[in-house]
Amino acid sequence: MSPRLLALWLKESIALSRDRHGLLALFIMPTIFILVMTMALRDAFTPGATIDAAYVIVDLDRSPHSQAMARRLDKAATFHRQADVADADTARQGILDRHHALALVLPKGFGERLLTPAGADGQATEPLQLLLDPTLSPALQLAFRNQVMAALGAVRADELTQRAGKLFGLPLVPGKSADKDWPDEIHSVAVRSDQSARLPSSVQQNVPAWLIFAMFFVVIPVSSIFIIERQQGTLQRLRAIGVPFRLILAGKLLPFFVLNQVQAFAMVLVGMFVVPLFGSEALEMPATLPLLINWWLVAAAVSLAAVAWALLIASLARTSEQATIVGGVGNILMGAIGGIMVPKFVMPAGMQAIAELSPMAWGLEGFHSVMLRHAGFAELLPPIGKLLAFAILSLLAAIWLNHRALTNRS
Amino acid sequence: MLSIDSVSYRYRAAAHPALSDVSLSVPAGGVYGLLGPNGAGKTTLISLLAGLLPSSTGSIFLNGRPLAEARTANPRAIALVPQDYAFYPMLSVSENLRFFGGALGLGGGELKARVDTAIAFARLEQVVGKRAEQLSGGLRRRLNLAIGLLGRPQLLLLDEPTVGVDPQSRHFLLESIAALPAAGTTVIYTSHYMEEVEAICQRIAIIDQGRVLVEGTLDDILHSPEPVLELHLEQPMPAAIAARYQAIATTPLGYRLQLGSSAELPRLLDDLAAAGCAVRDLSLGQHNLEQVFMRLTQRSLRD
Repeated sequence: MSPRLLALWLKESIALSRDRHGLLALFIMPTIFILVMTMALRDAFTPGATIDAAYVIVDLDRSPHSQAMARRLDKAATFHRQADVADADTARQGILDRHHALALVLPKGFGERLLTPAGADGQATEPLQLLLDPTLSPALQLAFRNQVMAALGAVRADELTQRAGKLFGLPLVPGKSADKDWPDEIHSVAVRSDQSARLPSSVQQNVPAWLIFAMFFVVIPVSSIFIIERQQGTLQRLRAIGVPFRLILAGKLLPFFVLNQVQAFAMVLVGMFVVPLFGSEALEMPATLPLLINWWLVAAAVSLAAVAWALLIASLARTSEQATIVGGVGNILMGAIGGIMVPKFVMPAGMQAIAELSPMAWGLEGFHSVMLRHAGFAELLPPIGKLLAFAILSLLAAIWLNHRALTNRS
Repeated sequence: MLSIDSVSYRYRAAAHPALSDVSLSVPAGGVYGLLGPNGAGKTTLISLLAGLLPSSTGSIFLNGRPLAEARTANPRAIALVPQDYAFYPMLSVSENLRFFGGALGLGGGELKARVDTAIAFARLEQVVGKRAEQLSGGLRRRLNLAIGLLGRPQLLLLDEPTVGVDPQSRHFLLESIAALPAAGTTVIYTSHYMEEVEAICQRIAIIDQGRVLVEGTLDDILHSPEPVLELHLEQPMPAAIAARYQAIATTPLGYRLQLGSSAELPRLLDDLAAAGCAVRDLSLGQHNLEQVFMRLTQRSLRD
């Protein structure tokens, strides 16, 4: 190992370890983003997930059928069910007081007349009554009504099979509930132009997304050290003692690459152990070693692209302020169009095409391929290849810029 | 030791060359002063010697070998101490020295020995653990110099090494630099402080607008073949005497006279004594460096 390269690595590591603000930005910023965005977007990523609208049941019948109906609604678990209230007036007052948005009144005789259409036997059948807060979104009103209809259908089907069983003399297990698991579970599948894949959950979207974003923020510490070196004549001094520029770049690549890997490890831990503390599901990492290696290969490619990009920005900028603005704004733009801030799958087709231009989108695609589709190495080659090409082009541009600055110096 | 022969250099898109047909000879074992106003071409020449600029027209030889070849054979032969504090403010003094030693390719016991020597040379023992950004101006200059000496260079290029330091640190730095040739390091020293150059340089070159105006030993350059007399009096020179010797007032009580020969000096002193005009100081046939510099480079402002 070249002592010169070792010296460069050690210098960069010490300088980096003393840049507290830079380190805070690299670790605290993505942690906060992951926690906030995972919670904020939790429902947006899970079709049919819990909706923050509560309802109460007013069970005036108190029959096994009305209780079966309540169980059916519980099972759907989309809306929050609050404790039952005794009568419709209390339920109505609850809506006015904004304790809940919906109330379902199961009338007396609900069980008795479950299979009797209104007026079929000359008697009126009292309908179910749905009390609702008019400010609740019409879509949610309709959704709850549909759930009630579905639950009612299931309770009727249970009752029918029960009675049919008795009619045909089928044996009944005493004490067993008449409730059946009808094949009514629906699994949502996102249909995209290229393939049908499971949608990422909120944590699966946000951990890799903000990790990529944070990795690209090495532009701040990279450029702050690089610009001090250039402004104070340290680069000239190193060149005067025969240290080639490519060695100086190599001296920066490894420490920041290692830093990026520490970021990746830390953000995965945040996803696995901190996110659940805030009520969201934990991040699930691939379970097998080959998949973990693939995941790491994506992280490594993102890191090389991020550090090379940072070196290019540091070579372009004349002052730390310029580097912070150009690098920061550049990263935010890459994040905005690349599906970091707004997930790509909710973008219209035109924006999805533009997203393909962002290196952050390539990284995210790589992570999602491993985490959601358990992609093999061959499937990861396109995003990894694009990231590596981006890294090489950025490095070549940085070398060219420094060479040009040297020959044009006055 | 260093021979610069007809070197010219023009920056891309520049209207005038930064160096034009510059020839200098720097002998081994001395401190060589390189003087010139701002924009004269000093930094360009230093940059060419330090290998920071690509090749130019003309040739430069170090110990008889073309510069590029000599640098390849021994990258530590030439060291540059830039005018800026060219080290890492967030690293401590010893971390900076170890880093630059490592960048020179030093390692192990040799690195430690060189770092210790550099610390002792620049008297940095009290601040080895202190971060460079916390050092005073004088200590920073000493660290800047110490880093330049880590590779034991044959030729040390010092660009304004005493800017912004207090008189004590300046005195220490000048003494240290003057002692370097004895340890085998030839020094090229650029400065705007003429008294510093007079104090430590044996040879000097004055350049302006990319051309060498004068080069030689300090004594030769300061010696004037013409018997020019500079003197300061206790009271104004009587008009009759001033007219007789064509005296020009340079300051309220300072005068410059052109004598026909040095034999005229006793008579002038007699005339002044007879007029009751006491002489405070005088110098005959000797300039100070500032006078030579101002005469050669003209007095117009450069930036």
